[in-house]
Amino acid sequence: MAFNFYMPDIGEGVVEGEIVAWRVKEGDRVKLDQPIVEVMTDKATVELPSPRAGTIAKINYQDGQICPVGQILVVIDDDGAAAVVKPEVRPAAAPAAPVAAAPVSGSAAGAAVAIQVVDATASRPRVLATPATRRLARQLGVELDRVHPTGKHGRVTTDDVRGHRSNGGSPASSANGGAPAPAPTGAAPAARPPTAYAPIAIASTGNEERVPLRGMRKKIAESMARSVHTAAHFTYVEEVDMTELVLVRERAKSRATERGAKLTYLPFIVKAVVSGLKKWPQLNASLDEATQEIVRKKYYHIGIAAQSPHGLAVSVVRDADRRSILDLAREIDRLGEAVRTGTATRDDLTGSTFTISSLGKLGGVLATPIINFPEVAIIGVHKIEERPAVRGGQIVARHLMNLSISVDHRLADGWDGAMFLQDVKTLLEDPTTMFMEMI
Amino acid sequence: MAHVASAGSMNDGVEAYFSGDDDAKAYGLFQLLREDGTPVDDAGLDWLDRALARRLFHGMLRIRVTDARMMALQRQGRIGFYGEATGQEAAVVGSAAASAPHDWIVPALREAGVGLFRGMTLDSYLAQIFGNAQDPSKGRQMPCHPCDQAHHYVVMSSCVSTQIPHAVGIAMAMKITGHRGEVCFGFMGDGGTSAVDFHVALNFAGVMKAPCVLICQNNQWAISTPGSAQTASTSIAVKGRAYGLESLRADGNDVLAVYRAVRYAAEKARRGDGPTFVELLTYRVSAHSSSDDPSRYRDESVTEIWKGERDPIRRFESFLSGRGWLAAGERDTIAHELDAEVRDAIARQERVAPPALETLIDDVYERPTWLLREQLAELAAQPRTRSPHKH
Repeated sequence: MAFNFYMPDIGEGVVEGEIVAWRVKEGDRVKLDQPIVEVMTDKATVELPSPRAGTIAKINYQDGQICPVGQILVVIDDDGAAAVVKPEVRPAAAPAAPVAAAPVSGSAAGAAVAIQVVDATASRPRVLATPATRRLARQLGVELDRVHPTGKHGRVTTDDVRGHRSNGGSPASSANGGAPAPAPTGAAPAARPPTAYAPIAIASTGNEERVPLRGMRKKIAESMARSVHTAAHFTYVEEVDMTELVLVRERAKSRATERGAKLTYLPFIVKAVVSGLKKWPQLNASLDEATQEIVRKKYYHIGIAAQSPHGLAVSVVRDADRRSILDLAREIDRLGEAVRTGTATRDDLTGSTFTISSLGKLGGVLATPIINFPEVAIIGVHKIEERPAVRGGQIVARHLMNLSISVDHRLADGWDGAMFLQDVKTLLEDPTTMFMEMI
Repeated sequence: MAHVASAGSMNDGVEAYFSGDDDAKAYGLFQLLREDGTPVDDAGLDWLDRALARRLFHGMLRIRVTDARMMALQRQGRIGFYGEATGQEAAVVGSAAASAPHDWIVPALREAGVGLFRGMTLDSYLAQIFGNAQDPSKGRQMPCHPCDQAHHYVVMSSCVSTQIPHAVGIAMAMKITGHRGEVCFGFMGDGGTSAVDFHVALNFAGVMKAPCVLICQNNQWAISTPGSAQTASTSIAVKGRAYGLESLRADGNDVLAVYRAVRYAAEKARRGDGPTFVELLTYRVSAHSSSDDPSRYRDESVTEIWKGERDPIRRFESFLSGRGWLAAGERDTIAHELDAEVRDAIARQERVAPPALETLIDDVYERPTWLLREQLAELAAQPRTRSPHKH
């Protein structure tokens, strides 16, 4: 008889396991308790012993694949008869993902869940769901019986509800479990917020050119409008004396060139920003609107907003807190090149937790940057130029630079933004202090 | 390993060692068997007979065999969780053997073997792990939280060190209600001694002269925290002295040393001469639990030493063989019998249904309120699906 071995929860609440290596293949004889497969969960890597003696009839998940807990991992024919594989066995290529890792957006948009359209006329009499899930469904206006359940016993989970909402209830396929295609700006590619006003029509006067709003321009339009309409922006500007850092960079530049890095000021600013974020974690956060939770991120992926041939692009320096100045310089250089040549990968363009906007030589004096939603803050870097400054009662020429920070006042207050920027200023003005914080 | 109590310091036998120097007791390591299983000089093992020795051995092997079987079941998805005591069998069984039937046991995570040694049945132990209808706690505790009222074995708390005040409190109650020679055994791990309840409990024990034996199984790992990060104290035993408790440190992988040290402490408490704090030095050779993977945070080559030459069962097996109390190949025979017992009990318990739905509202109110009864009726009217995990 065919015995279905369901993927067990081997670590108190794990949802899936990655197949590291099978110790047996289809057709092999196995003994009771013989180790048959090595499985890695987010808690431990373990060997699973066979719960039956018999013949391996069918392996549903191959090396490297992810098997959700509760799915049939392997069918063991335990009396030597031909295995009867029940139709309920899901094809290995498209496992239902009960929980997809929530990507950076931190909002409902991220959770990619395979959705099936449920015929409304065939809705079930009573959907199984926990009270918390029902409440969430009510909040989001999702009808539970339209949601494809992935939980135990056909139970609808909160992820199912969110996934259904973010897919607008329409069929969406995500065999690779990936998030929807990201906007090049790195902003959340979420549904457009409801428009409160009737669309404005611009009457034609003849002396005009009409360009369709689409592609990247349209994405930028949507992202920026969403950010401005959602986040309660306030902007704060501070002047930073970069004179010391200008000297440091001058001294380090040739050494950096020898080691294959083009040393700009940006790596230093990234470093100072990361130090500040560690101290002021409310600025490295996002609001999960579905659960009303502030998600404080313990990783520091710094977005660098810059103009590309196709428009504004945010490239992402991942794990900036674990990179040296030289490493940051090389990575920023690589990302810039990738954006210019159109070879940037998804990882290069998504997942930032805080963004630095730099116009380089066009840096200007101050700006009111728009937050790269759903992040909490963005910093605008302005031009470094020699300006008069008063030092010890004397007017001296110093290399001064302004930083403009915009913060979402919903999640952080003026105090937080100001203290953060003061910390960044202190680090940049005295590079010695910055070196103390380096890894 | 630290200083081993030498023959000289116990010239008048083991009792002399216990009545001797406090520093030696708290910082040294009381040992009766060397790692190769030969007795230390002047071990004074006159009190040991073949029957007791074989009971100890049997109890230790039972833990090892049961743990191996239960871990396999966990990996097959048949139980939700398991915490092994493998490698710590001497500390568990040596302590259990020093207890009397009318004593009480307040365990930490790895003392289920104490319950089994005192008479808790394998079926009861397994029923709790399966959380089935025969589980005394009606499926409400996570696996590995057994209890057995008949054998005075209290259910453990998952919280670190909260059970130590319970143990001391029980001992204080024994004294307040008229001490009749009972002793309360309170267990903890090394991590527990860093938690606040440990200090509260030891303080009360000392001040109230509570008839308890507080035993720390120092297995050197509190999940992923090594002993070096746990405390700056030279030994764990010495912490007891701050509260006026006589404190002993013994080799937790030497079942005879454990038995002797704990029996000394228990007899003292029985006489009404107050509490003792005992540190049993051992090593957690397995993972913290079935959810843990120690290869991620520690050097497993050290573990191999504890699994090998320092293994408590191997040490005692050598001793028994040397005495002619264990025939060649007998270990395998006993292990085989124990394995068959465990498999039979699993087969029985796996068939037992889950606790009845109605038990959900038991044991909170003497008579459940109308609200609970109404909720239960609603729940009972809901459709039921069979778990896909049932085999």
